Amino acid sequence: MSANRWLVTGNYFTSYRDEQKIFSTHLDRTIFSVFLLCLFVWPLLFKLSSRNMLVVDTILIAIVAVMGLNLLTGFAGLISIGHAAFVGVGAYTIASIIRVIGDEHLLITHAWPLVILIAGLVGAVFGAFVGLPALRLRHLYLLMATLSFQIIFQWVINFSAFFNQGQTISVGRVFWITGKIGRKQHYFFWYYVILVVIIFLGLGVRNILRTRYGRSLIAVRDNDRAADAMGMHPGFTKVYAFALSGFLAGIAGALHAYLYRGVGFESFTLHHSIVYLAMAIVGGMGTLNGSFWGPIAIQMLELQVENLAEEAGHFLPSNMNLSTALRPLTFGLVIVLFLMFEPRGIANWWRMVRSYVKLWPFRY
Amino acid sequence: MSYFFQLVVSGIVVGSIYALSGLGFVLIYKSSRVLNVAHGQIIASGCFITYSLTVWVGIPIYISFLASMVITFFLAMSVERIFLRRLIGEPIISVIMVTIGLMSIIDGLIYLTPFGSENYSFPEFFPATPISVGEVSISWTQLVGVIITFVLIAGFSWFFKKSTIGISMRAVSDDQLASMSIGISVPKVFGLAWAAAGLTAAAAGGIIGNITGLNFDTLQSFGIIVFPVVILGGLDSILGAVVAGILMGLIQQFAAGYLDGSWGLNGTGEVMPYILLLIILLFKPHGLFGIHEIERV
Repeated sequence: MSANRWLVTGNYFTSYRDEQKIFSTHLDRTIFSVFLLCLFVWPLLFKLSSRNMLVVDTILIAIVAVMGLNLLTGFAGLISIGHAAFVGVGAYTIASIIRVIGDEHLLITHAWPLVILIAGLVGAVFGAFVGLPALRLRHLYLLMATLSFQIIFQWVINFSAFFNQGQTISVGRVFWITGKIGRKQHYFFWYYVILVVIIFLGLGVRNILRTRYGRSLIAVRDNDRAADAMGMHPGFTKVYAFALSGFLAGIAGALHAYLYRGVGFESFTLHHSIVYLAMAIVGGMGTLNGSFWGPIAIQMLELQVENLAEEAGHFLPSNMNLSTALRPLTFGLVIVLFLMFEPRGIANWWRMVRSYVKLWPFRY
Repeated sequence: MSYFFQLVVSGIVVGSIYALSGLGFVLIYKSSRVLNVAHGQIIASGCFITYSLTVWVGIPIYISFLASMVITFFLAMSVERIFLRRLIGEPIISVIMVTIGLMSIIDGLIYLTPFGSENYSFPEFFPATPISVGEVSISWTQLVGVIITFVLIAGFSWFFKKSTIGISMRAVSDDQLASMSIGISVPKVFGLAWAAAGLTAAAAGGIIGNITGLNFDTLQSFGIIVFPVVILGGLDSILGAVVAGILMGLIQQFAAGYLDGSWGLNGTGEVMPYILLLIILLFKPHGLFGIHEIERV
């Protein structure tokens, strides 16, 4: 294996083991570690206001959720328009624990990593249940299963007194070794928690994708009959994909509940499912780093849209609610335009830059 | 007992509208295998066009009803031409996601109009006194709506069985390559399928608008409920869509009529179709009349 990946123009791997490596050179590993270090250090150097920190945290949570969606839609080839409901399952797991034992119970305030894990597992169970039709059916029908799960979820939350009819259920402040996390450090603290979660989950997903299971996921997406003939069970593979995606979504939901210190119905509607889908598409389906680019791009876009709506609000009649109109419009446009002109998403730009550098000064 | 019959009547009224909207959905699926997630938005825009032509422009209702059908005919055709034509040959998954994006776009466009935030209702066109048979009553609007629905469904069935275009649409749904080789323009058929779906959607929208008033959320929910309807009927069967639509209307009315209020349940009518959808997907995914494709994996 040649030393510099940037200058190599072909595939020089001599074994499958080499090709499956996450870091092919020491340099890669070093760069990655330095990058992670930067992610840990920068909040100490630049003091962001709570409002901006909240935006960063929201992006990170969206990254966790979109990783799950990307696993399902990008790698397993199953469209889900109920992903916000799976995220909601995670958040409402915490909410139901709180409704039973109260929001200042030790389990919620001290054992929160355990609670987050439980939320993920509950999400996985729900994901597997919704994915059960996959044992018999192909993707078109599964779209409907996820849609109906979204609607049933909204109904259950809206009409049951246990979940406070969809009104906010508040979550208590958590404790760390240093004591109670106050209002000032809240977003700061959760930045680090979510960052650690993302690093673990990201490495986990990356590793799953190079195992036998991950490769069978891609095989089933590309041709399920061929995969069947080669001894994989396409149905179970898809159900596992649903469970895994539900797990990631559940963790995202739990983090969402803790970050906003409350669980409300309005964060988990069909509109949010479409936003998650837009993130996955914009980032690049079927690539892991796509799940990082998509949320960043879409959240930035959302901020811009909000600013624009606010600006335009000065000139337009006040009864016209521009921001509710512009949001679906931009997300829809982004989905459609990316699918029409850049179906491989932002992650593909990186690939294009790399191949440009490699082939320079020649081109196709 | 009269309560039961009242539920049956209103179930048939709602169900026939479901049948009409399901028909448009099946038309697109049958010809191009695309699940049109944006169908509810097309229904809503048909309804709003009818309203603005009738009330704001002042055209008689029957003309504006027809005019809105013509407008959405061309609207849906141009949607197909602009967004979906260039995706022919792409994996079906990305085509479906384009329709999800379209749904979002049309949502946004409707929120820009006054219809997005405010509720309107059509003026009364028919006598306000309902027709009563015994203790069961049905309003004139509902009766006329049901009649129009069945006329349209009959018309489309005839169109598919007998007319050349209908037969070519069926041919394309059967085998695209074979129909291309005998000189059918497949893209044109796709466009026509979308146009016909837009036409039925506008009709459904106009009728819903007259019966329930113009509320964007209600109209959208009529689009989403198409999914359980067509799954129950079988995705590619027009007869299935009609039967399942009426069945679904009855189920919804019975659920709302008998389950709501007992055991602290509420709004069961809205969720029952989706619970049913999950059950059907698990046990009888091809629905009542769907072709039993061997898609088992």
